[in-house]
Amino acid sequence: MHPFTRRQLLHHSTFGIGSVALAHLLNQERLLADPAKPDLEPKHYDLKLKPTHFAPKAKAMISLFMQGGPSHVDLLDPKPKLTELDGKVFPGTIKFDNAAQASSKVLGSPWKFAKRGQCGTEVSELLPHLARIIDDITVVRSMHTDVNNHVQSIHALNTGRIVSGHPVLGSWLCYGLGSESQELPAFVALPDPVSLAVSGVEHWSNGWLPSVYQGTVVRSREPRIPNLDPPPHLKGDSQTELLKYLDELNRDHLAGHPGELDLEARIAGYELAAKMQTAAKEALDLSRETVKTKAMYGLHDPATAEYGTRCLIARRLVERGVRFVQVFTSNQQWDNHGSIRSTLPAVCKKTDKPCAALVSDLKQRGLLDTTLVGWGGEMGRLPVIQNDAGTTKVGRDHNTYGFTWWFAGGGFKPGMVYGATDEFGHHAVENKVSQHDFHATLLHLFGLDAKKLVYSRTGAELSLLNGHDGRVVKELLQ
Amino acid sequence: MVPTALPSVALIVLFGGSVIAAEPPAKAPPAFNTDVRPIFKAYCTECHGEAEKPKGALDLRLQRFILKGGKSGPAVTAGKADESLLIERVKSGDMPPGKKKLTAAEIETLRKWIAAGAKVEAPEPETLSIGFPITDDDRRYWAFQPITRSRVPATKTTPAASNPVDAFLLAKLSDRGLSFAPIADRVTIIRRVTFDLIGLPPTPEEVDAFVNDKTPEAYAKLVNRLLASPQYGERWGRHWLDVAGYADSEGGAPEDPIRTNAWKYRDYVIRSFNADKPFDRFIREQLAGDELVKPPYAELSAADLDAVVATGFLRMAPDGSGVASADQKLARNQVLTETVKITASAFLGMTVGCAQCHNHRYDPIPQTDFYRLRAAFEPAYNLTAWVAPASRQVSLYTVADKKKATEIEVDAAKIDAERIKKQDEFIEATFEKELAKLPMEMRDKAKLARNTLAAKRTPEQKKLMQDHPSLNVSAGSLYLYDSKAAAELKKMTEAAAEVRKKKPVEEFVRVLTEVPGKVPTTFLHHRGDPDQPKDAVSPGGLAVLDGTLPLKLSEKPLATGTTGRRLALANWLTDPKHPLTARVLVNRVWMLHFGKGLVGTPGDFGRLGEKPTHPELLDWLAAEFVEKGWSMKALHRQILLSNAYQQSTMRETAKDSVDPDNRLLGRFTVRRLDAESVRDGMLAVSGKLNLKAGGPPVPVMEDDAGLIVIGKANRDGAQYKLGDESVPAGEESRRSVYVQMRRSKPLGVLAAFDWATAEPNCEVRNSSTATPQALLLLNGDFTAAQAEAFAERVRKEAGPELKSQVSQAWRLIYGQTPTEKELAGAVRFLGTATETFRKLPAQPLPKAGTKAPEPPTPEVRALSAFCQALLSSNRFLYVD
Repeated sequence: MHPFTRRQLLHHSTFGIGSVALAHLLNQERLLADPAKPDLEPKHYDLKLKPTHFAPKAKAMISLFMQGGPSHVDLLDPKPKLTELDGKVFPGTIKFDNAAQASSKVLGSPWKFAKRGQCGTEVSELLPHLARIIDDITVVRSMHTDVNNHVQSIHALNTGRIVSGHPVLGSWLCYGLGSESQELPAFVALPDPVSLAVSGVEHWSNGWLPSVYQGTVVRSREPRIPNLDPPPHLKGDSQTELLKYLDELNRDHLAGHPGELDLEARIAGYELAAKMQTAAKEALDLSRETVKTKAMYGLHDPATAEYGTRCLIARRLVERGVRFVQVFTSNQQWDNHGSIRSTLPAVCKKTDKPCAALVSDLKQRGLLDTTLVGWGGEMGRLPVIQNDAGTTKVGRDHNTYGFTWWFAGGGFKPGMVYGATDEFGHHAVENKVSQHDFHATLLHLFGLDAKKLVYSRTGAELSLLNGHDGRVVKELLQ
Repeated sequence: MVPTALPSVALIVLFGGSVIAAEPPAKAPPAFNTDVRPIFKAYCTECHGEAEKPKGALDLRLQRFILKGGKSGPAVTAGKADESLLIERVKSGDMPPGKKKLTAAEIETLRKWIAAGAKVEAPEPETLSIGFPITDDDRRYWAFQPITRSRVPATKTTPAASNPVDAFLLAKLSDRGLSFAPIADRVTIIRRVTFDLIGLPPTPEEVDAFVNDKTPEAYAKLVNRLLASPQYGERWGRHWLDVAGYADSEGGAPEDPIRTNAWKYRDYVIRSFNADKPFDRFIREQLAGDELVKPPYAELSAADLDAVVATGFLRMAPDGSGVASADQKLARNQVLTETVKITASAFLGMTVGCAQCHNHRYDPIPQTDFYRLRAAFEPAYNLTAWVAPASRQVSLYTVADKKKATEIEVDAAKIDAERIKKQDEFIEATFEKELAKLPMEMRDKAKLARNTLAAKRTPEQKKLMQDHPSLNVSAGSLYLYDSKAAAELKKMTEAAAEVRKKKPVEEFVRVLTEVPGKVPTTFLHHRGDPDQPKDAVSPGGLAVLDGTLPLKLSEKPLATGTTGRRLALANWLTDPKHPLTARVLVNRVWMLHFGKGLVGTPGDFGRLGEKPTHPELLDWLAAEFVEKGWSMKALHRQILLSNAYQQSTMRETAKDSVDPDNRLLGRFTVRRLDAESVRDGMLAVSGKLNLKAGGPPVPVMEDDAGLIVIGKANRDGAQYKLGDESVPAGEESRRSVYVQMRRSKPLGVLAAFDWATAEPNCEVRNSSTATPQALLLLNGDFTAAQAEAFAERVRKEAGPELKSQVSQAWRLIYGQTPTEKELAGAVRFLGTATETFRKLPAQPLPKAGTKAPEPPTPEVRALSAFCQALLSSNRFLYVD
């Protein structure tokens, strides 16, 4: 007896089958697939919606990636002990990255902290806007990757590995879930106009996942998406006619090739591309936003206008069904090795208001429940001075052993602080959250079991966890 | 409704699923060696058996050890599964520790085996050395069996099966009551085989010639013509470059520096395919070309030069060791690791890379195997005498070249010396003039100050020079004082440069070789960690083949002064008795012709890979390949002249229900053009294709839109454009194999269509249908340019008449004249499009004094739009 397979079933009913039924069948197959079985089928991948492993809380994520390593002990993880020992020799061992400029002198935070909101989470004076919405924020003070430098730690948070060439979180989400939008790319990256963050295009690399899951860059200047504009004479009617004729050619061709799903997928691809020309334009057009909204994101202030614009674009994208959006700061903007007293306030000024506005705006539009916002970098900073060359010159070196991220929406429990670093902020010591826990928790909120979300490649079943035990940090969830 | 678990079962039934958890055949109890031991190997024996001291004194490698048990007593009580400690421990999840647990099916296999008496099929070895046992059963695995020329099955099903390829395929099909699909029409066949062999569409003339050739040899002649075409090597060489992980940049670090002269290896590969170089020789050259040619590399014959250039294969791994920020120890070890991986996947079809950190979990590949292979490369990639990537160039200057260059340098140096003398005279004269402008009493002081080294001047002298800046006459500032003198000097500089230009061009190649006498010891790295070296390991092949085909090392260094390790490895791999090399190669060729290998996992012939759908055919082809002198072109002919290859792609319900994925090949598979064929095919159809062969790659750069395009970047650090960025005319239209393959900057058009990723190499390309492809075809500059060129060509070749234009376009792109319906549809489109373009607002007037080009007429625009639709159509992008 030859049992039915999915393809065969589809062929039997070649064209009578509607797209709903098709999606259903594809979904069925996913659910039924034996996860340990290498998939020997010819590989074709799409962005159609896929069923989750269980009911999801989040539908979209906006990652506010603060590349360089925000100084947690100056922002969200107050350490009175450092203030007490300011200028004295650090009473323990420190893991330095930059031995040449290292000192063992403790640097108490130059900024004041205060309990804010109903929840009473302590926030630095450098983040006044975040402080105002702190009741919507979940602070995790026990992040750690324990790998020494920027690139490795970025890879750890993006891909669960510490070397390049592997797929990032956004690609995994699109692979596992498909897209909510049939008019826009599922995964969008918004790099800073000044420079790409350290690790560059690898932040949105699909690695060895199929390229359909690669992030699409929306540039920081016009045209924000390339090839979106037809040549002037092909705008409007003429292109519509071209597409109609192309569709005619392709459907004729398909009629001669019953059962070739790939050909159908490509016809659908042209439909999406055609829609994207206008949909992406519309999504990226901020002129319809009210003056109030623009002001909220700081679009009228040169210090915040550019970053605020990208945060606003991020909201417009998730509003229109984009699955994963990343907003970047420029290369090493948070890498405050020196002159932390001036450089850290500057980057806080650039980002604080827009980030807080994004959370408030999502909330007022009822999008926060299903949109997960994550804020943080690849490391924190050391409790001691780097570059001991005078008050204005001092900075802090890298610290991947303990640092802070904050989250909002998407099923996170608001108004709480989780985990702790030691009394100096050097190592995460309580309720530690590794990159693998971070991934397992995020995927969980999307209704995915990080252990089960696998991709077969040359005989191996690969996952974002890369064989590590990722703990879903249930304490953080609603 | 569909019964739930059936899809995956269907696959196992059809193709003997290769997952170890597969249920044993019904009723017969599981056998120890084939069913039970693989489970222990995957989960248990790393601690319980392979380690020096098995944990809990329990060794699960042999049946009698298992019965004996460890500290906690017997692991198994024969006949009583539920009373066996082993079952208890795995069921409770206590064992194995960690997250990877046995599946229910695997536990069931163990239970059934115990229940049936926990027997072993054959007597077990008397003794077992510590570590990783390779059993006779392992050696019996199909991929390690000698290749035997299988008997061609009797062909009673059809008399047409004169080609053994057909006989083997038909035998399997007829088992299921099926047969081949009809032979495809001639146009389909010529389009299929032309794209397949040269990566380009056939020209209308070629189509006509083939369609009208009524001789029985028409198809064979076509195949031979294509195999003899220089474009064959460009196409099939590119396939090999995928396997080798070819790139024009170093990779391994974000900087991704350019890998100069890598292209010489690329040209060597293309040359070798075109010449049908026996593949065993091709392999030997790539692994050990330097061991075949005695240094110094001057006065090399073309053949010897090729052998040396061939070692570029071993220079293809990503190599971040040349970047300042690199952790050298890690970066260097990584190069060796990737080199072993590339070599193993290219020739052995085994995931030897898995054994870098531990014994292979599924295949009989102990960790030492990885280091045995690594030992072959370590004298050349010597960790303690590392040569940075940029310094791996070997000059190809001949003795005569060198002599000539030296002579020319002497002449040039003479001019330089004269110039310097003159320059000094000019400077002195100018200085004297400036000095004369000072009051007399200051002149001596000023002269002394100026003739004193700047660092040694007294404060007073410094001030003097500062107060009279015009005294600072130098070679660099002379032109400010005396433009005539400066011009004269400049002329002399140019004259010297002119003379130097006459030197013979010094060519470099990137060679891999060893420093004679320097042979580092290779150590096994505990858990793959370079900081934990353990036992020393000697070079060798796969241990599982040691009994039948050991790798024979040279006892003393070769005449080349090298260790001979790589030559020994190459000789081992190309030994006609090697069970893997030929199988892996013919399987890859089969995959490229049919879209899927006889083994579906071309880089993994191990237990986790797929088993061959037609093992006899695979062996027959491999045996034939070796007997015919490893001739790639003979192998192509064997496959391409089969009826199987010439079938139509039309599906039939009966076949789809039995064989939905067409693994039995009862039809041909529709396939999308690969990246190069999309781009090269468009260029061919538009008439722009430049077939210039070989040489340095056409450069790529990032344009203002952040897209990777062809061009020579000319920007400063802030991405400010300094000047022209175009490449010489025609270079932008060269074949894709000649476009620079920078790992971090893949050409946009190629990347969109799933170009090879060199990380470290590419065994199978993806075939995606992503929307960026559609946007690129709709709005991309490349498509627009090709559509316009295509339209212009059509107008030129077909004249003004619409129907002729449509017909010619159809012939150029599809190789066929349009049907009446297609013609009518096209003419209708051209009509409406022309009207639409006519309604476009008039072009803005050119600025006063400038002459704007005549804007295209609505007819011209309509034809371009029509051509663009054809270039974007599935009928072009897919091959039947």
